[in-house]
Amino acid sequence: MAVVAVVAVFVVRLVTIQIVQADTLNAASFDKLSASTSIYGLRGDIVDADGTVLATTVLRYGVTASPKSVTDFTRTAADGTTSTVTPTQAAAEIAAITGQTADQVYGTLTADPTSNFAYVVKDIDVDAFRAIRDLGIPWLYYESNPVRTYPNGAVAGSVVGFMGEDGEGKPTGSAGVEQIDNQCLVGTDGLETYERGADGVAIPGSTVTTTQAVDGGTAVLTLDSDLQWFSQQALVDRIKETGAAWGTVVVQEVKTGKLLAVADYPSVDPNNIDGTPSTDRGSIAFQAPFEPGSTFKALTAASVLDAGLANVGTQVEAPYIYTDPNGASTRDSEFHVDPLRLTFAGVMQESSNTGTAMLGELLTPEQRYNYMQAFHIGSSSEVGFPGESGGILSPWDQWDDQTNLTTTFGQGVATTAVQMASVYQALGNGGVRLPVQLVEGCRQPDGTMTQVPDATGTQVVSPSAATDTINMLETVVTGGYAKADLQIPGYRVAAKTGTAQMSDGNGAYGSSYVTSLAGLAPAEDPQYVVSVTIAKPVTIESALAAAPVFQKIMSQVLKEKRVLPSTEPGPDLPTTY
Amino acid sequence: MSNPAGAYMARPRPNLMSGGSAAPKLPAPAFPGHDLPIAPRIEIVPTRSQKRARPKIAYAAVVVTGVLAIVVTQLMLSIGLSDGAYEISSLQQTQKELDRSNQVLSEQFDKLSSPQNLAASAESLGMVANSAPVYLRLSDGAVLGSPVAASASAPTLTGGQTLIPNSLLVAPSVTAATGTPAAAGTGTGTGAATGTGTGTATATGTAAAGATPDAASAPPAAQPQADVPWQGALPSPTTR
Repeated sequence: MAVVAVVAVFVVRLVTIQIVQADTLNAASFDKLSASTSIYGLRGDIVDADGTVLATTVLRYGVTASPKSVTDFTRTAADGTTSTVTPTQAAAEIAAITGQTADQVYGTLTADPTSNFAYVVKDIDVDAFRAIRDLGIPWLYYESNPVRTYPNGAVAGSVVGFMGEDGEGKPTGSAGVEQIDNQCLVGTDGLETYERGADGVAIPGSTVTTTQAVDGGTAVLTLDSDLQWFSQQALVDRIKETGAAWGTVVVQEVKTGKLLAVADYPSVDPNNIDGTPSTDRGSIAFQAPFEPGSTFKALTAASVLDAGLANVGTQVEAPYIYTDPNGASTRDSEFHVDPLRLTFAGVMQESSNTGTAMLGELLTPEQRYNYMQAFHIGSSSEVGFPGESGGILSPWDQWDDQTNLTTTFGQGVATTAVQMASVYQALGNGGVRLPVQLVEGCRQPDGTMTQVPDATGTQVVSPSAATDTINMLETVVTGGYAKADLQIPGYRVAAKTGTAQMSDGNGAYGSSYVTSLAGLAPAEDPQYVVSVTIAKPVTIESALAAAPVFQKIMSQVLKEKRVLPSTEPGPDLPTTY
Repeated sequence: MSNPAGAYMARPRPNLMSGGSAAPKLPAPAFPGHDLPIAPRIEIVPTRSQKRARPKIAYAAVVVTGVLAIVVTQLMLSIGLSDGAYEISSLQQTQKELDRSNQVLSEQFDKLSSPQNLAASAESLGMVANSAPVYLRLSDGAVLGSPVAASASAPTLTGGQTLIPNSLLVAPSVTAATGTPAAAGTGTGTGAATGTGTGTATATGTAAAGATPDAASAPPAAQPQADVPWQGALPSPTTR
């Protein structure tokens, strides 16, 4: 009888353990045995067209301690001798590596002796991590975390952008390409679970990868980092020389619409965001519209030529002051008593405001507005840069008489530097405007390219109108006032100067200027656009502030891209009659 | 019974010559040479089926050996597996360390190859930019452009100013390295040399600075000699 009772008790217990509580107990044992490590899906790189790394992810290390267990420990040296190390000594050793003071480290270790966790140091590099680890301090623990680094510093810094935090405090791209291509770049962390023995080694056969980590894709830019650096260097150099406030350089490939360089000043070094005021961390070339002034005359000229209302030889008597039938008036920048007897090409070379207004008004305001829209004035480029501006272009039926007149020569309308470069790209490409490209696509880990932007062009003006415009712009380089600063030996260059009055922010023009230069080379078969903008120069208040930068950068572009010198002379259009 | 053991089994010997009449000829059962008659031993003879059911020692041996073999194999397998686990663990550790070294080196590489560092290094070596590029067209050997050697006083790319910051670059390494030997006139680069490239560059810079301390460092470019005829076919790029 007793035996039966004992057996019954055992049976009941067995059933309870094996069946009723099985899941709970299993789970509890699994928790004891199992360890899970998160596998980082690293954020992808941002590289330029050649593969030069502009942004990458590296691992940095954090050292934590368990203050509860901070005690003396015994260290065995390589020769077998042992010594006792006190926490004070250990703190001094750590401090020597991290650059903190021994007291700081010791303070962290002893701040709360009951705690099991304290940060000794965060974000140290591999060398420091290895040095601390090799100290062999038993109560230190290590963790790694991915951080973003930008090996080229401020080269393309304003375009590449930087990281910030999203609503949940997770790192996310918060400016520039880091933001545009966040979807492409972001990786997905994985989780690996396995059972381990007392020594932490995985029990064979127990590794279970719960979630596979997926590294982010690589954002491939169209930029050329060497050219980018050169452009920034040349721009900053000139800005310092002329005492200007800000400036941009845009280099674009005519046949593809790809941006090769987008230089901004001021600009940010993404490694050290705090070193730049928050207002200067963006890209002026994409985000800041300004009234372009005379560089815009190329657009007016191409429109008039395309409509067939004039040709390169059309003769104009350009007075110093011109008043149109509506009563709006404008004047040339240089005083002259007699009207200038200029051809259309001469109007471009002299950059005559009155001549341009007279020729521009051959078109109706609506026609001119439509041409501007076709050139993408008023709508932002295809790049989709964060905070990108599309410029300011009010509908033609809202233009007052003065705006109607001044929009022919680039006042009363605002564009970004990228938009201006794009206008010249269309002119150089036989009138076909190509979408502006900054990102070539997102290269997946398997090598395929996704998110490749559309590169379908639109015919904005006829090929002949475009070529004629280029030929007229060539006279600016051969005979205009800035010719000495624009010519590049061996090459035919077409360019246009611009010295635009800046708005004072209160609806009137102030006393400062935006000087600019936009042009193409080689003129017989344009390959590259360079557009330079320098705002508020002090020592020189004309396009002469920007011209040397244009010449320097265009020379470098032609050299770097191995463009052969021009072999045929230019058409040398007559400018006067 | 074929068993010869049966010979020892006492039992009434059957009369083989059962001729009936021959019986009396036989002597009484007796064992010659023995004085006393031995009492017959009696034993139960197992039946055929009983004999068959009896386990045999060979079988037991096979089974025991088999079990032992399995146990030993499993033991070896376990040892092998856990050895493997430790090996994997140590290899993973090695891989981690190598990954870290790789990261350190690529970081350093990217940093050193940044344009700021390259430009500063080139300038510290006395290199200047030649503003008159000349092209050699491979198809017909034509020289395009007019070759002009850059003068040592030609402006450098940056004019010695690093205008584009890079907070990763603490100090341009080559500049730091050249300063000492150029001033001291010794041939060893002992600056903040951080890699092979730096070391090599330092040596070159020192040599140039040592040879012409004042005329800065651009070595005089060879004057182009237009009248040297080209012999043979021009090199031309090939693709497959």
